[in-house]
Amino acid sequence: QRFRFCGDLDCPDWVLAEISTLAKISSVKLKLICAQVLRDLLGEAIEYEKILKLTSDAKLESGDVKATIAVLGFILSSAAKHNVDSESLSSELQQLGLPKEHASGLCRSYEEKQSSLQDSLRACSLRLSQLGSVSWRVDYTLSSSELREVNEPLVHLNFNVRDGERGRTATISMALSADKFRVLLAELKQAQALMNTLL
Amino acid sequence: MLLVLSEEQKAHLGCLPRLGAAAVGELGRLAVELLRRGAAPRACEAAARKLNIGVDTIQHCVEGLTYLLTESSKLMISELDFQDSIHVLGFSDELNTLLLQLYLDSRKELRSVLSELAPKLPSYHSLEWRLDVQLASRSLRQQIKPTVTVKLHLNQNEDQTAQVLQTDPSTLLHLIQQLEQALGEMKTNHCRRIVRNMK
Repeated sequence: QRFRFCGDLDCPDWVLAEISTLAKISSVKLKLICAQVLRDLLGEAIEYEKILKLTSDAKLESGDVKATIAVLGFILSSAAKHNVDSESLSSELQQLGLPKEHASGLCRSYEEKQSSLQDSLRACSLRLSQLGSVSWRVDYTLSSSELREVNEPLVHLNFNVRDGERGRTATISMALSADKFRVLLAELKQAQALMNTLL
Repeated sequence: MLLVLSEEQKAHLGCLPRLGAAAVGELGRLAVELLRRGAAPRACEAAARKLNIGVDTIQHCVEGLTYLLTESSKLMISELDFQDSIHVLGFSDELNTLLLQLYLDSRKELRSVLSELAPKLPSYHSLEWRLDVQLASRSLRQQIKPTVTVKLHLNQNEDQTAQVLQTDPSTLLHLIQQLEQALGEMKTNHCRRIVRNMK
């Protein structure tokens, strides 16, 4: 059976298996655990001790606690990934066997944070490199070993590029004459105009 | 198949008869720990102090034992062959039984440690992808050119490398088809026969 929150594919077996573990926790506590898992997905620190305290009533083993966090993380991030609204998510979770109060608690937490989650996922999408900053300098060449009176302006450009995977910064430097610089600027302005038509 | 011990190793193990059964047990344990976690000079010194023997002698003894254990585990020699191999050292029957027991107890673990020492090719770690559409370039406007950018993360002996690849959708479909064909090979009679015989 196809589920929207799994990207119109079958639900993974391990998720199905852990739904019954989720049902063992009370729906109020589940909503609080969801809040913690959402913090982790948004890049803040997860408070594992709080989750342990919340699951202690349900007498879950340590493996079950980790499975709970994993399955909640999957459901929430996968739903955000496929842009599923909270009502569809609730009905699909109930189809999988999650009790109604649990599903609605989970989906209320999801709804609050859905757009921040999607923003954070968008930010960590694959990106090869990123321009950090640009610095420039304009010089005026007076004379050189080849010609006594040169009298030409020169632009120095430094592009600080951040490499996606490890955050290393590489600097690309170049020097351009006034004409070349005008061509570069004109081309970049055309590209900017094209980008503005898409925004 | 018999194990051949060099003169030096025989000399190293020659100190074993002088120590009691408990000491031999202790050295055996040290040898297994050495294989599990690497050199532990402090443990050897502690053992030397406890048994009242020089540190060098202890070191040699432990090294001799580790060679005996690794070679026997590597070749998976039978009990009879092991007994015949150490018979040449001229130890007492009690000592021989002790060594045999040590071998049998640690054989399985040593084999799993040794299996990890085989050379490895880079293995798959994770895959990130992105779907883009090129709308315009400096030379041509009004284009529609979809591309899939893939970042393949590989692991080789704790070294993480990443390969960036780019393809158009039709090549990607071809790639998927080829990989599915490769998976399908496992179901042919030829492969099934081999797998059955390996089990």
